[in-house]
Order: sequence, then structure tokens, then C-alpha cells
Amino acid sequence: MAPRGEAAAGPDPGAAGLQARELILGDLSQPGMVHVATIRSPTACGRLVSVKAPTLPKGYRLILPADIPGENRIVSFGAELPVLAAERVTYVGEPVALLAGPDLATLGDLAESTRVLVEEEEGTFSWKSFASEQVVAKRVAVIGDPELAFSIADKVLEGEYDSGALEHLYSEPQGALAAFDYDKMAIWCATQWPYHVRDCVALVLGGAGEDVVVRPTRLGFHLDGKLWYPSLLACHAALAALLCKKPARILLSREEDFRCTTKRARSSVSLRTGLDATGRLTALDFRISLNVGAFGPLAEEMLSQACVAATGAYSCPNVRIEGYAVTTNTPPLGAFAGLGAAPSFFALESEAARLASAAGQDPVSWKSRNVLRKGSSLVTGDPLKEEPPYEEIAGRLGKASDFGRKWACYELVRKRRAGRDDGPLRGIGFAFAYQGAGAFLSGGAPNSYSVEATLDKELRLSLKTSAAACSGTMIDLWRRSASDLLGLPLEEVSVAPPDTDLSPNSGPVTLSRGLTVVNKLVERACQAIQKRRFRDPLPISAKAVYRIAKPLHWENGRIEGSIFETAAWGGAVVEVELDPWTLEPKPLGLWLCADGGRIVAPSRARAALRSGAATALSASMRESLEFAADGAIGAEYYRYGILPPGELPPIHVEILEADRRAPAKGLGELPNDTVPAAFMAAVAQAAGANFQSLPVGPEALADWEET
Amino acid sequence: MTIHFILNGEDVSMNATSADRLVDLLRERFGLHGAQADCRRGTCGKCLVLMDGRLAPSCLLPAFKARGREIVTYEGFAQTDEYADIAAGFAEAGVECCGFCDKGKILAAAAVVERSSRPTKEEILAEMAEVPCRCTDPETLVRGVQAAAERREGRRYRRASQ
Repeated sequence: MAPRGEAAAGPDPGAAGLQARELILGDLSQPGMVHVATIRSPTACGRLVSVKAPTLPKGYRLILPADIPGENRIVSFGAELPVLAAERVTYVGEPVALLAGPDLATLGDLAESTRVLVEEEEGTFSWKSFASEQVVAKRVAVIGDPELAFSIADKVLEGEYDSGALEHLYSEPQGALAAFDYDKMAIWCATQWPYHVRDCVALVLGGAGEDVVVRPTRLGFHLDGKLWYPSLLACHAALAALLCKKPARILLSREEDFRCTTKRARSSVSLRTGLDATGRLTALDFRISLNVGAFGPLAEEMLSQACVAATGAYSCPNVRIEGYAVTTNTPPLGAFAGLGAAPSFFALESEAARLASAAGQDPVSWKSRNVLRKGSSLVTGDPLKEEPPYEEIAGRLGKASDFGRKWACYELVRKRRAGRDDGPLRGIGFAFAYQGAGAFLSGGAPNSYSVEATLDKELRLSLKTSAAACSGTMIDLWRRSASDLLGLPLEEVSVAPPDTDLSPNSGPVTLSRGLTVVNKLVERACQAIQKRRFRDPLPISAKAVYRIAKPLHWENGRIEGSIFETAAWGGAVVEVELDPWTLEPKPLGLWLCADGGRIVAPSRARAALRSGAATALSASMRESLEFAADGAIGAEYYRYGILPPGELPPIHVEILEADRRAPAKGLGELPNDTVPAAFMAAVAQAAGANFQSLPVGPEALADWEET
Repeated sequence: MTIHFILNGEDVSMNATSADRLVDLLRERFGLHGAQADCRRGTCGKCLVLMDGRLAPSCLLPAFKARGREIVTYEGFAQTDEYADIAAGFAEAGVECCGFCDKGKILAAAAVVERSSRPTKEEILAEMAEVPCRCTDPETLVRGVQAAAERREGRRYRRASQ
């Protein structure tokens, strides 16, 4: 049975050809449907004593962990978390029970009257210094002899850079609708990872994966906030549907979503750098702490990505990396426009401005001396297979932004400035980074995906992939790739709805994987069809399977495996002016340049980069989530402000042209990897001081003004 | 109380309490689901309607505020020539939304184009701040609205010259 959109004016879900991804979860309902409300933990840590609901009217039901027919857990990248907390609670807002019933308002009143009794214990919130039992993942890598290199280094500098929690503000709050479709449990939800939803629901209901079918609804803008959390809510909806024997929908309010769902992990990178007399990097020492909140569902993957990105785009013969993913009694924290690399790029790129200054060089020249080259050793010891286009990117950015002249002028003004009335407080910063394309890096991550393609007798090509839950733009790109390869008109290429019964598992759709992994699979499947096209009778079907050859392996201080198959390289320049009285930074311009390999749709790539740059600048200037003393999210949704479009500076984007046969690379994370560090470097130059984290808050500015 | 107002060009009336918000009545009584009750704080821009030609967050508007006014929802606006101008302008500039904020952005574009035949970047971005979705690049959006304004002017000119 297909869900009915409530909208009289909306699409008819029963109509032939309608794809689930066109439906909006908030508009879906089914006859006799019950709503589901979540009863949450009021405290951050303790033993759960009881959940007492008031007397429930007919048709309403309380669902407790004991009602779960299968296992009370979901698994994500090797980490486990309960579907409903059974004995212990671990963060404020953790689901401990569900209430299901037909009327949403009554359900709200009942949920408010339900009492959760917890024997409260002291929570753990420290994460930069932590106890060993808080560590859920650890990585250590040593290359060369860092201590010897530090002992003979000409200059040694130390720095520490923090990245705070951020809210995704995705297009629709999280939720799920569950209903029996004959003998299967059907789930509709906006998810980046349909097969994860399927497997989690099957585990919780005590069935097999084939007993569950997931039909993703419109995903919208997600910034990687809908990787695993929809699976938890799908389990809640499926439990309610099973126990009430009726369709069940859970849809969080914005406020509830804001307070209780996953946010960007907090991170702190302490680094020590050694330079020789010419300013060349001779030693690097990193200590990375990642606060992954309760359970740390993405901890393994995020820590791996943070550690391999620690050395940024630079070559250094002696490196030590020590990384810890640490749990605390806050809501689970995880991905945000990437899975952990951005805070590492932010730290080293921010420090690079200081290193250049210590070496008496401008940032562009210093980076040119230290940047990775073809054949340079990566942290795994493998040589880099391609030449990073540093000179071209830095050159284009320098020309577009007039970086060299402005940087020198602002340095002079800063050095000669006598007081706040003496000239504008301006600064300009430059950052360079890469976005690795390929599979996940941690052992617990799934690394086998496939795409199917069928060319029928009417020469129409149908692509099947569970990744089709993503945006129409991405789907259009796959269609174009297939159309180009097989010489078919674009309108003859279609992508089937991402139904787990019909589409093969293509893994989670993150910002970059749709373009890198899935697009490559589309191309391979089409190439396989092309080979057989004029030999075999139609229809011809082909399946392309992707398996990572060497999963990353950390042991005895060594990293083995492949960090990325290919990488997109990019740079950003940000120019800012500080208000002389309020010291508030005002961005004057933002320039981006990227090498994204073969660009299927240049105008869309530029628009994606501009949109990503706006998000990254907003996160750098305005956005910050504060946590209360009990680990709960202290802010309120409506106070969480993003930078209004009118306050954005002009954003200039350049993309390097590539050969038509070059691989397509993901670009979506590059703004997030470069813009914060460029902004930080610009603010630091304007103020003539170094700051530890973004946004640069009033306290940091007040301290700076005093000094 | 009974409230009379114009909804998408038609005289309508409905009973409402003082606690009823316009967005709920539009969805439940009139089956108009273009406006979504997402944040209920007037901040997300998914519930926007045009009230006497100006953008209004229907999740915050008490239903009685609609009395005697002209309310245009996305569904009603989508039947107009002005909608065709905006849709064509957006397509020309390559505006691609996430599928959730597009209705709000189209109505915001309608409001700004209604006020100014040649809207400036500042005017457009000020109106678009009512729909704070991260999905669309502001520069493309500005080009889309300006293209829509040009089309609208062209259409008016052609009509006048006929």
C-alpha cells in the first residue's frame, strides 16, 4: 500500500511512475495511521528506574524496550546504540519509550504527563582531557623520527585549534512512516542510506532484511545529517506499526530535532611544527580529540578521516599523529558536510599562516615550498600518484583576488597601526586543501556497492541504485554520464526509484560519493553494456560492483592502505574587515578555485561551490551550538542564526578545465575544507592576533582588545 | 468566528477560533499543502503566503488576521502568468532548490518583483532572507529573480502594445 499524501493539490502517490523520492514525508499519511511521540531522558547520565505514563485512552499505547521483538540496538560503522534506553540513560533527550496514538495533540499531552524516573549520576562532559573508558576509537601513526627532527629544527611552533558543534538545518526535520505492505514492513523516510534503514529495522523487528522494504522520500539538503539517524526513527515507527497493527508515523518538530538529533562533532587539534632555516616543514606532531557525544555512531570513520587529513596538503618527512574519539554525555555528534577531515584542514591551514610568518614568507610562497608533489609520500608511505595543481590554483586565486598585493599592504598597515583610528582593520587569508574521493576508511564501514543498468529493446536505459534517494541534480549527472557513454538521448535514460526491493545497495549518499563512487559505477555498468551492445540481443543488463582494494589498516604506529583513489584539489581566499568599534568581522570577498576533474555540468558545479562557500562562511562567522551544564543543547532553534544572504560577500568561483576522459571528482566538501581556515587567517591578519576557534566570539575579541 | 477573505482569487469563508493559525486552516480546511508548518516560529520560510501582495508567515498568523484580506498560496500563484515568469527566470539562471524551500523562494521572488520592476541585488536578498535554506547559491538566485523581472516587464510591454 502506498502512503497517501495529505495534500489534495499534491501528487497522487498511486499514480503510475510516481517516485517515492518526490514525496515529502511531512505530507504523507495512511488511513488509520497512528502518530508516535518520543519519551526522552531528562538527565544526562544514570540508571533508568521507571517510565510512568498516565492512564492511556483507548487506542493509545506505551512502547517500552521490553516490547521490542528483536534486538534493542542499531549498528553504525561498528558502533552500537540502543533503540530505546533500557537500563541506563546516556544523554538528555535519549529516547526511553514511545507513545503511539491517533491524535497528535492528545499524544503531546500524554507525553508531557509521562514521568521518567532516573537515579541520576554525574555525567562526563570533558573531552580534551579524558579518561580511558571514554575512548571509543584511537589512532596512532608515526612516520620518520619526529622527536629527532624537533630537536634539530630551526623553529618549533605550537598551536591549538577547536571546531565546535554545528546544526545541519536540513530541509525537513527527521522522521519516518512505517506500514505493512502485504507481508513486508514498508518504511518511508528521508535517508542518505536506505539499506542501513532496512538492516536496522530488520534487526529490531527480529526479521531478515528481505522482510523490510525502504522507499526513501525526498531528501533535500542534508549536509550529511541524515546518514544514520533516520534509521533510529524508522525503528521507532516500525515498532509502533508492528505493536499497534496500524501504520505509524514519527515526525520530530524542529525544536525537538534541534535539541535531540545528531550535530557536527566537536574537535580539538593540538599541533607542534618544526621548520628548518628555509621555512621548510621538518616535523609535525598532532594530537586530535574528537568529541563524538553519546555512543559515537560515526567515531571510527570520522577519526580515521581526521587523522589522515591532519598533514593537509603538505609534505613532511617526520610526522606523529595521535587521535582519540571520545564519548561524552551529550547527544550523539558526527558528520557535517564530510566525515571528519574539515577540522584537521582547518587546524593546519590556520597554523600555516603563522608558520609562513615565522619563516618570513608570504603564505602562498611558504605553501608552495611545502605542498605535496607528485611522488611525495602520503601518511601511508604510498607515493602521491598525481601532481596537485597548487601553482595553477594559487595563481588563479591570486589574480582574481589580488591576494599578493593586498596581503602585503595589510601586513604593512598592521605593523604600522598605532590605534583603532589608524586605518581599517583588514586582512586576507588563503587556504589550500583536497577532498579525497573513494570509499570509507574505517574497518567497520561497508565497502561493497553496486549499480545496475538495463538497456531495453526500445533503446531506453534504466539505472538502478539505492543512492537515487539523493538530489535531482545528482540523478541528472548520472543520466548525462550514461547518455554520453552510450550515445543515447538524455530523455531515454531514467533512474529507477530507490526502493530497496528493486535497487541494489549503492551505499550511503554523502556529499561526494554520489559523484565519485556511484557515478563511476554508472559509467562502468554503461561500458559493460556498450561492449555487448552490438553482439548480444536486447535487453542487456549489467551490474557494476565496487570494492575497495586495500582498506585502511592502523597498527603499531603505521597506516596501511589507500587514503583515496583520486582527489579534488581546491583553494579559497577570504578578505575581511573588522569593525573598529564592535570588532565584528565583515567579509569583503570570497574567491574559490577547484580542480574537480571532469565536470559534467559546469554551471551546477559553480552553483554548488558558491552554495557550499556560503554555508562554510556562515559556519565560520555566526554559527555555534552551546551545550548546557547537563550536556543538553543550550540554544534554541529559532535563535540559531545562519548568515543572511544579504550579508554574504561576492563569491567568485573558478574551476580548472580537465580532460574529458579525466575522472569526475567530488567538490562538495572543498568549501568546508578551505573557507574556515582562509577566514581565520584573514581575521588573524586584521587583528594581528591568533585565535583558537571559530566563530571568533566576543570573549576572544575582548581579550585581544585588552592586549 | 466566521472569517471572510479572498483565497487564490475566490471569496471564501471559514469558522475559526482565535487560537487557529492560518497555515493549519489552509492545509486542513482547504487542502492547500504548499505551505508547510515546519518550525512554527516564522523562521524557516516554508509556510509563506502572500497577504495583500506581501510575504507573510502563515504559521504565525492567527486565522482572523486574514479577515478581509487577499491571501495567495503557492497553489494559487502557480496558476498565474507571474508564476510562469518566475519559473522561466529561475530555469534560465539555473536556480535549483532542495524541493522544500522552492515554494517559499518563488513567493519571495513574486513579492519582490511585484514591488520593483528592476529589483536590485540588495532588495532580492533581503526578501530571500525570509527563506533561510542553505541549498541555493544566492548569486544564482539574484540572477533568477532579475531574469523573472525582465520577463514580467517584457510581458507587460507586449500586452500594452497590443
